[in-house]
Amino acid sequence: MANKTYRKIITEGVFKNNPIAIQVLGICSALAVTVQLKTALVMGISLTFVTAFSNLIISILRHWIPRNIRIIVELTIIATLVIIIDQVLKAFLYDISKQLSVFVGLIITNCIVMGRAEAFALSNPPFASFLDGVGNGLGYAMILSCVGFIRELFGSGKIFGFKVVPDLFYAAGYQDMGLMVLAPGAFIVIGLLVWIQKIMTKE
Amino acid sequence: MSDPMMDKFKSVFFAVCISAVCSLAILYVSTGLKERQDKNLMTDKHKNILKAAGLVLADQTYPADRIETIYQKNIKTCYIDNTGQIFKEASKDNDRLQLYFQVKDEDIESYIIPIDTKGLWGQILGYLALEKDGSTIAGFTVYHHSETPGLGGEIERSWFQKEFVGKKIVNRENQFVSIAIAKGKAPKDLSDNYVDGISGATLTGKFLTSGLKEILKEYEPVSVKFRTGGIGKIHPQNRNAEDGK
Repeated sequence: MANKTYRKIITEGVFKNNPIAIQVLGICSALAVTVQLKTALVMGISLTFVTAFSNLIISILRHWIPRNIRIIVELTIIATLVIIIDQVLKAFLYDISKQLSVFVGLIITNCIVMGRAEAFALSNPPFASFLDGVGNGLGYAMILSCVGFIRELFGSGKIFGFKVVPDLFYAAGYQDMGLMVLAPGAFIVIGLLVWIQKIMTKE
Repeated sequence: MSDPMMDKFKSVFFAVCISAVCSLAILYVSTGLKERQDKNLMTDKHKNILKAAGLVLADQTYPADRIETIYQKNIKTCYIDNTGQIFKEASKDNDRLQLYFQVKDEDIESYIIPIDTKGLWGQILGYLALEKDGSTIAGFTVYHHSETPGLGGEIERSWFQKEFVGKKIVNRENQFVSIAIAKGKAPKDLSDNYVDGISGATLTGKFLTSGLKEILKEYEPVSVKFRTGGIGKIHPQNRNAEDGK
């Protein structure tokens, strides 16, 4: 019984209530870091870490957090986690952290994190909140990876930085789609994904 | 029954506690990782210097220790004053310009000038390497910029940077003219001093052109020395102690 609800909490975040495709949150970073699959993936993992642990910590503290300053407390916790992950990326994945630049720091302002803390963690037990954070983070990571995959493949003919479009194609006149490298390309791809998600979840 | 005074006190107490815990956590992480981060920054800088000198390939990744080995073996850091004289150390009042030499045995192969200039949207940082003849560009890299991706941002791409290789910073009369980014295609009769521009990024090109000119002018004394054959070797006393094996 309990297992079933836990599973539901996770799948809810990934599919039924996907933060990007259904709630349409966190679009800014989804446009900015999805030119390549690798950065999109790292960004997705970073956000999953932050939502999961901010949800967990806030849920543990939920009976003690004074109502009148709860937003500030939530922000403090989220900001701390984001700074930690930013420092870790700088130390261990320097090249990627350079590409992500300010967008790791901007996880603090990502509505998904704050939204889950307010909507779920404040009124649910720690483990369920943690799973809710993981689910929503994965939902975000999934969409980001899809967008990153499509943009990198069509925009520069590569996947994870490896050439996948054979030179033969280029010789025959195939050209990389410049639009995909720019932000409007991401908009269009995200729009299409939202459409597909809506069709899939409609029962 | 809750006393409003008590509530206020509780809020403040909670805020102080959470701030203290969070600060401690950040302090712990950032001091613990500082050394690693500084090393990464250093390696990135060295990699870009090597890239400008053409010692590593632009589109390839190298492990950090390999970068360091190549760097230690080939690059020497120096400083010049406004007459073009070379020093091993920066002066106390900081009026010397930094310069890197690519050396092979004792001979200078090229010299590398750090580029720090304004772009359209923000700072552009990179390196420009010049051959030992003092006039031919050996390489150019950009490792930091805030230009528009796909437009001005193309300055970080190798197709653009490769254009610089073999161009001259002097005209046919051997006068200093710097290197310029053309609007569109480089003019045919001046193709030695121009590189093709990036379509849609005329302003980035303009900023970079004037920035490069300003910087190259500052380094002109040392370039003149190279052109007239005044420098060619690193003197033993100029070499850093730790390199003299």
